[in-house]
Amino acid sequence: MATEATDRIAARQRVEARRRQVEASTTIRDDSEDEMIVSFPEFIFKEFIAAVAMTAFLVVVSIVLQAPLLGQANPGVTPNPSKAPWYFLGLQELLSRFPPLMAGVAFPTFVIVLMILVPFLDRNPSRRPSERKVAIILFALYMAIVVALVIIGTFFRGHEFIWNWGWVLGNPQTCGGAAC
Amino acid sequence: MKVIRAAVDEMWSVMGQMTSAVFRHGLPMTDKIAARTALTNFVLHIHPVRVRRSWIRMSYTLCLGGLSFFLFIVLTVTGLYLMFYYVPSTQHAYQDMRDLQFVVTFGGLIRNMHRWAAHAMVITVWLHMARVFLTGAYKKPREFNWGIGTLLLLITLLLSFTGYLLPWDQLSIWAVTVGTNMAKYAPIAGPYTRYLMLGGTAVGDATLLRFYVMHVVGLPLVGFLLMVVHFWRVRKDGFSGGL
Repeated sequence: MATEATDRIAARQRVEARRRQVEASTTIRDDSEDEMIVSFPEFIFKEFIAAVAMTAFLVVVSIVLQAPLLGQANPGVTPNPSKAPWYFLGLQELLSRFPPLMAGVAFPTFVIVLMILVPFLDRNPSRRPSERKVAIILFALYMAIVVALVIIGTFFRGHEFIWNWGWVLGNPQTCGGAAC
Repeated sequence: MKVIRAAVDEMWSVMGQMTSAVFRHGLPMTDKIAARTALTNFVLHIHPVRVRRSWIRMSYTLCLGGLSFFLFIVLTVTGLYLMFYYVPSTQHAYQDMRDLQFVVTFGGLIRNMHRWAAHAMVITVWLHMARVFLTGAYKKPREFNWGIGTLLLLITLLLSFTGYLLPWDQLSIWAVTVGTNMAKYAPIAGPYTRYLMLGGTAVGDATLLRFYVMHVVGLPLVGFLLMVVHFWRVRKDGFSGGL
């Protein structure tokens, strides 16, 4: 057993040495001198702590914050505004500004395909932030636009999805005058 | 007396055998024992036996990938509990939600956890993607795993969206009406896609069943398979290391 384990560790080290060779052009820093540790228990203990912390956080939030449950679904009464879930509000925001074919179909498809192709479009082999200014600025811009659109859709779109500075998350939505 | 002592000894040795059948290597007091434990344990085998400290620095990974996976597990467990009480029909769904909120033991807590964990997962998956981009970890040889990750982000959004309809309240059906309306603008396939999603021309009984089936079986299954590939590739391509 002992020799089997040692053999496997040695094999892994060989694989790793090869990986570093393959990667020599893209790795920003040679990590072969970094301290090697056994992942159990140190690494696994860290993961465990993260999981426990997340569980505690969820339990506390779930005790304090009640998940929304409005009146029963009624196909005959349309709330105004009708909003998509928050992570799609960026798309809904685009739909309110651009032709639907562009905002609802062409644009999201383009973004998804672009995302998958990112590693092939980014020809810069470096991973050092100071050498990737363009990539980082473009990505930051993309994230900023997404976040801004979601915030606008959530907080600043009221009746008829018209711009409204006073719109506050969780305001009772109205269905033709009556609260839903 | 002798017989009793022999029986106790025998019991003691059986218990020892039981313990060592499950915990094969004792406490990980030395690196050697720790390495053997990681090699022979099913749960731990996802991890490499040895790692460089720089790969797992929390300031590098921020635990975001691991937390996303953990939230998926939390959602599976809380989701199972909700499934015991929830019937996906327009007759029962809303009343079942009220029961979960006010009658079922811990129903409200579990429902809240499911809801907030879902929101949290959308956020951690996004942030995980941002971290991987900003550290340039998607570069050769990890291009393929970045693609898998993009699909996992889509699956996360779809899981969240299909779950949004299930409470069958005013928030649900109108959010899903708005969401599925976006699909109909696609040229040619648009109206058909929407019909396929809704199982009709408007959000109704068929839609609820379709969204439920996708939410509890279809999408989690696809997501799980993609996760298996994602984690496997992390090991095969190597950790991206510290900056």
